Amino acid sequence: MSRLVVKIDRSEMRTDQYEIDLKTGRTVLEAVEAIYHHHDPSLAYRYSCRTGLCTTCMMLINGKPGLSCMKMAEPGENGVLHLAPLPKGRTIKDLIKEV
Amino acid sequence: MDEIITDILVIGSGAAGLAASVYAAESSQQILVIDKGAIGRSGSTVGAVQIASLGSWSHREDSLDAYQQDIRESGRGLSSPVLTDVLVQDISARLEDLLQWGLKLDKNEHNDILVAATSGHTIPRSISSKKGKTGLAILQVLTKRAKNSSNIKRWSDVITLELVKANGRVAGAVVLDLKENKSYLIRCKTVILATGGIGQLYSTTSNPAQSTGDGFALSLTAGAALVDMEQIQFYPVSLIHPPSLSGLCLSFYHLAKLYNRNGERFMDKYEPETMENTTRDKLAIAIASEVEEGLGTPGGGVWVDATGNIEEVKRQFHHEYQLCLDRGLDLASHLAEAGPAAHFIMGGIWIDGDAASTTPGLYAAGESAGGLHGGNRLGNNALSECIVFGARAGKAAARESARMKSITDGVPLQTKKADKIINVISNSEQGTERSYACKKAVQTLMGKYVGVVRSTKELLQAKAEIKAIEEKLDQVKITSSPDFYSKEILDYIEAVHMVTTAQAIVEAALTRKESRGAHHNKNFPEQLTEVKHTIVKVENGKMTVQEEGEV
Ligand SMILES: Cc1cc2nc3c(=O)[nH]c(=O)nc-3n(C[C@H](O)[C@H](O)[C@H](O)COP(=O)(O)OP(=O)(O)OC[C@H]3O[C@@H](n4cnc5c(N)ncnc54)[C@H](O)[C@@H]3O)c2cc1C
Ligand code: FES
Repeated sequence: MSRLVVKIDRSEMRTDQYEIDLKTGRTVLEAVEAIYHHHDPSLAYRYSCRTGLCTTCMMLINGKPGLSCMKMAEPGENGVLHLAPLPKGRTIKDLIKEV
Repeated sequence: MDEIITDILVIGSGAAGLAASVYAAESSQQILVIDKGAIGRSGSTVGAVQIASLGSWSHREDSLDAYQQDIRESGRGLSSPVLTDVLVQDISARLEDLLQWGLKLDKNEHNDILVAATSGHTIPRSISSKKGKTGLAILQVLTKRAKNSSNIKRWSDVITLELVKANGRVAGAVVLDLKENKSYLIRCKTVILATGGIGQLYSTTSNPAQSTGDGFALSLTAGAALVDMEQIQFYPVSLIHPPSLSGLCLSFYHLAKLYNRNGERFMDKYEPETMENTTRDKLAIAIASEVEEGLGTPGGGVWVDATGNIEEVKRQFHHEYQLCLDRGLDLASHLAEAGPAAHFIMGGIWIDGDAASTTPGLYAAGESAGGLHGGNRLGNNALSECIVFGARAGKAAARESARMKSITDGVPLQTKKADKIINVISNSEQGTERSYACKKAVQTLMGKYVGVVRSTKELLQAKAEIKAIEEKLDQVKITSSPDFYSKEILDYIEAVHMVTTAQAIVEAALTRKESRGAHHNKNFPEQLTEVKHTIVKVENGKMTVQEEGEV
């Protein structure tokens, strides 16, 4: 199975890189979930409905704001999937913004 | 531990919690509403499509009696007459309030309010807002009102660990601010629990991440009684594929045709008169029975064909149609594979007409409360319940709080469960068990043994496995830094609540020795003539179940 490189901008100016299976039909949220389960238990992220309604899973996906439960986990132009917290407001940790 | 003082503490900020806050704020009491997620955006309310109500849009034949009759018929003898009476009496006034506060109802092409038919309601009475994003629309109206009330404070990302008591009444709570992993003791005069449902106790669910049944565990530990916890609604027609949408409710099933693997329209065998347009309990049991008999699809469900009514589906359920289309499933030309998913709990905290629990000082509203829907909830009655009983809880808690002279200032408050939780977290470096894996283990066993079709042997197996997970939880390993938000800590606390709530469900299910409403036990397939409720409590640290007649 081919691999997907996921780069995540985290708290304290840290950027971590993970390699996960590239699966068709996998959302960004599912990719983040797989990283929390199998690679890094300290990763913090927020979500609720998984159906595009609550907007709490919003993050920067390959540089653009998007709902992680709705966007597919696919590499951007530079071949990696790049995730970061939204730029506006205080970041509580990693991908979680204060509400 | 730092202390915070308020008059009324509201736990949960779905439709029920926010309604409770807003109505309580009509008094001069101070209200603090907390949520373990983002306030107003973290519960099942967000996903709700329509609300049933009486009002100026009602059909000529509709009435308080007709509405109440439908609820009681659907409740299979378990709906509380007191609660159904309150619901039908109050609903139109509560809807009027929402309209005054800015809720806009969806209209048809003639500019009349759109009123939809829903299975089990003998008269169409379902209305909507924001093109079927009704839950969200109601949350927005209530959030705006809460923001404008000077006596309401809102606090996101704070999870409740335990309700604390003084002089025999609930007098506060221990909470953990997840943002900094700091615990607080909140002292108050009354607490309103509005923590929603239990979908996340199952591996396939329509519910959001936060629906881990915390409120049932919290209230049990505070001595409150839970009624009919075995009554869990499985949404009969929820997507199996694609996995990213697993559990998504296909709310248009009454407009679709269902087929088993042999291409038989099997509802002909179970409900020849209504076919698919039947109540959720009957449809879920029919689908699960087909699958049990080996007639299911490869993914363990049935086929859904909506092509015959696709224009109506697109119009009334646009969000669902579009979501499927975005993930490559075009319902206009393809069959969907679907089956039952945990959706709603009819049982819950036993309340009276003013939403007071059996423990003084504790109120409950919305999905956390039990008894209104009995053995089967009719579609769109959950939002109605939230606003009617949220309002009742808010007003009653405000009246009671106003009568009380002071908050239990200085009185030492006994905490037990919270101390243990905090202690396990502090010593978790040596642990071995991942908290998310413990949650997953609960979900797997509940799905396997406590699903739509149950048996006594499976329920006993569930009981044993839950106990084993409870023990594992003491050995939890938390690796992330305790100084920051930690998903591992959140998962651990949720797992602790899930285990207690799962135990309550299994105990209630073992006690009901018949099949009634959503509880279907293969070993007791008949419905008994006498109607009894199961009542779960924790007394002296031990969970007990009793059966009672009319409650
Ligand atoms: C997908 C979906 C569609 C639905 N469609 C409809 C519909 O069309 N019509 C209808 O009437 N009903 C529908 N329902 C059911 C209905 O939405 C819910 O029963 C109802 O909204 C529950 O509202 P609530 O306020 O009781 O709880 P929720 O809206 O679930 O809110 C509970 C809140 O409590 C918080 N919380 C939980 N535990 C804690 C804790 N320990 N500490 C702090 N906070 C906590 C949660 O984070 C959450 O924000 C649907 C449900 C789902 C899942
Ligand atoms: S989780 Fe709700 S919008 Fe993505």
